[in-house]
Amino acid sequence: MLEANKNWIHRHTTNARICHWIMVISFFYLLYSGIMIFLHFPELYWGKVGFQDYPAIFKLEDWGISWERAEELGDRRWGRNYHYTFAWVFVLNGLIYLIWNGWQKKFYSKMLPTRQELSIPHLKSEVKRHAKFRAAKGSAAAKYNVLQKLTYLIVLFVLFPFMIISGFAQMPAFTAISPELIDLFGGRQTARTLHVVCSLLLVLFVVVHLVQMVVAGALNQLRGMIIGKYKITQESNEVAQ
Amino acid sequence: MSKIRKHEKPEEFTLTRRKLISRFGALGGILLTGCDTQFYKPPINRGGLIGIADTLTMASQRMLMSNQQLVQEHDVSEITENFPVWNQSDPDDEEFQRLKAGNYVDWRLPITGLVNNPISLSLEDLKRMPNRTQTTMHICEQGWSAIAQWTGAPLLSVLQAAGGIKPEAKYIMIDAYGGWYEGYDMFDVVHPQTILAYGMNGKDLPLGNGAPVRLRVERHCGYKQLKFIKSIQVVSSVEGFGRGTGGLNSDFGFHWYAGA
Repeated sequence: MLEANKNWIHRHTTNARICHWIMVISFFYLLYSGIMIFLHFPELYWGKVGFQDYPAIFKLEDWGISWERAEELGDRRWGRNYHYTFAWVFVLNGLIYLIWNGWQKKFYSKMLPTRQELSIPHLKSEVKRHAKFRAAKGSAAAKYNVLQKLTYLIVLFVLFPFMIISGFAQMPAFTAISPELIDLFGGRQTARTLHVVCSLLLVLFVVVHLVQMVVAGALNQLRGMIIGKYKITQESNEVAQ
Repeated sequence: MSKIRKHEKPEEFTLTRRKLISRFGALGGILLTGCDTQFYKPPINRGGLIGIADTLTMASQRMLMSNQQLVQEHDVSEITENFPVWNQSDPDDEEFQRLKAGNYVDWRLPITGLVNNPISLSLEDLKRMPNRTQTTMHICEQGWSAIAQWTGAPLLSVLQAAGGIKPEAKYIMIDAYGGWYEGYDMFDVVHPQTILAYGMNGKDLPLGNGAPVRLRVERHCGYKQLKFIKSIQVVSSVEGFGRGTGGLNSDFGFHWYAGA
C-alpha cells in the first residue's frame, strides 16, 4: 500500500555521479595534503612576504600546537606530491563535468534558480524550512531547491575557481607567467592565506552538505548519487502518516 | 666590503626569440623553441598518477613560459630585512671552512663535462664577467617568501666562458659544499635571470645565504636555489649522480621541477 504512494525517479545523470565521486576523492586528498603542507609552516601572513618571526596574522601556536609539534604532524613532501596530483584530477574532472553538462539544456534548468524561486517570499519560506530541518516532499523533492542551487553555483563557479587561481598565485613560475595575478591578490602571502580561508569555506560546505543529506534521508540520497535512483514520497502520504 | 661592481655595462637582456636562439646557438646549436617537448618532462619520471601530474604541471608551465619572460622584479624599497636563513647555514665541510677562513680567495669554480673549453673560475673572475642585479621574490616550498636583491653572473655567460656546451649536453649538475647537489635543464640555464649570485642587497653574499656563490633560478622554489656552490658539470644524463633522479631534493622525493 505504501509502495503505491512512492515514485522512483532518475535523480542524477551518469556523468554527474561519476564526476561527483571523483571530486569527493580528490577533494579529500587535496584537503588532507593541504593540511600536511600547512603544518610544515603553520603561520599565515598578509602581503607579499612572510616567514618565521615575521608578523603573522595567524599562528597555530596560539591554538596550542607548537611549531615543532606541527612539523612532526605534517609531511610536506607527501603533501606537495599529492596536492598537485589531485589538483590535476580535480581540475580535469571539473572541466569534463562542465563540458559534458554545459551543452545540455536540462543542466541549466536544473542548476539555475527561476525568477519565482528568487522572490523574497519563496526564499523566506525555504530558509524557514531549512531552519526546521524539514526535507522537501513530493515534486519539490525531485529537484534542487533554491538555496541548494545557489550554494552549488557559488561552490562551482566562485569557490572552486578561487582555490585554483589562489593556488596559481603561490607558484614561483607565476612570478614569470603572470605577476599581475599575484599582485591582484596583493601578494603571495595574501594568496596563501586566502587559499586557506577558501578551503575552510569548502569544508563548511561539505559539513552542511552532509547534514542536509541526512535531513533529506541519507540512504535515499546516497542511492541517488551512486546508482541514480531516487525515491519520491508523495505529499498525500505525508498527511496519512 | 661592498666590492660589487656597479653595472659597468649592464648587459641588456631584452628577450627576443631570435636573440635567445642565437645565444643558445652559441652554446652548441640546439634550438630552443616554445614547443620543444624535451623541456616538458623531468629527467626521471616518477611513474603512476604522480608521474602524470608532474609532467602535466611541468609541461603546462613551460608552455606558458616559452617566451622566457622575466620574473617580476621588485622595487629596492621592498627588500626584506632579516631574509631568512634556511637549511645549511655554514657547511660542515673541511675544505669549505678553509676557504671561508681565507675569505674565499682560493675558492675556484670548475666548469667541466660537456663544454668545449673546461675552465676554473675564481670569485674575482666571476665578478669581472658581465653581471646582472635583480630584486626578486624567493618562494620557499614550505610556504614562506621574502624579497632580496641579488647580483651575479648569468649562468649562460659562465658557460659561454667555458667555450659553450656540446650538442649532446642536456643538463647541468651543480655541486655544493655540504653534500647538496641539483640538476637543471637548458630551459633554465638560458633564462637571463638565472645567475650565479655573489652579491646580496648590495653586499657580498652573506654566509647563511650561501657564500661565496649561490644560484638564483628564479622560476623555481627555494629548494632549487643551491647555496655554497662548489662545481658545475655539464652532462647528457643525470645517471650516476646520487640516486639518479637529477638532484638531491628529487632523491628525497620532491618533484625535480619546482615551478609549482
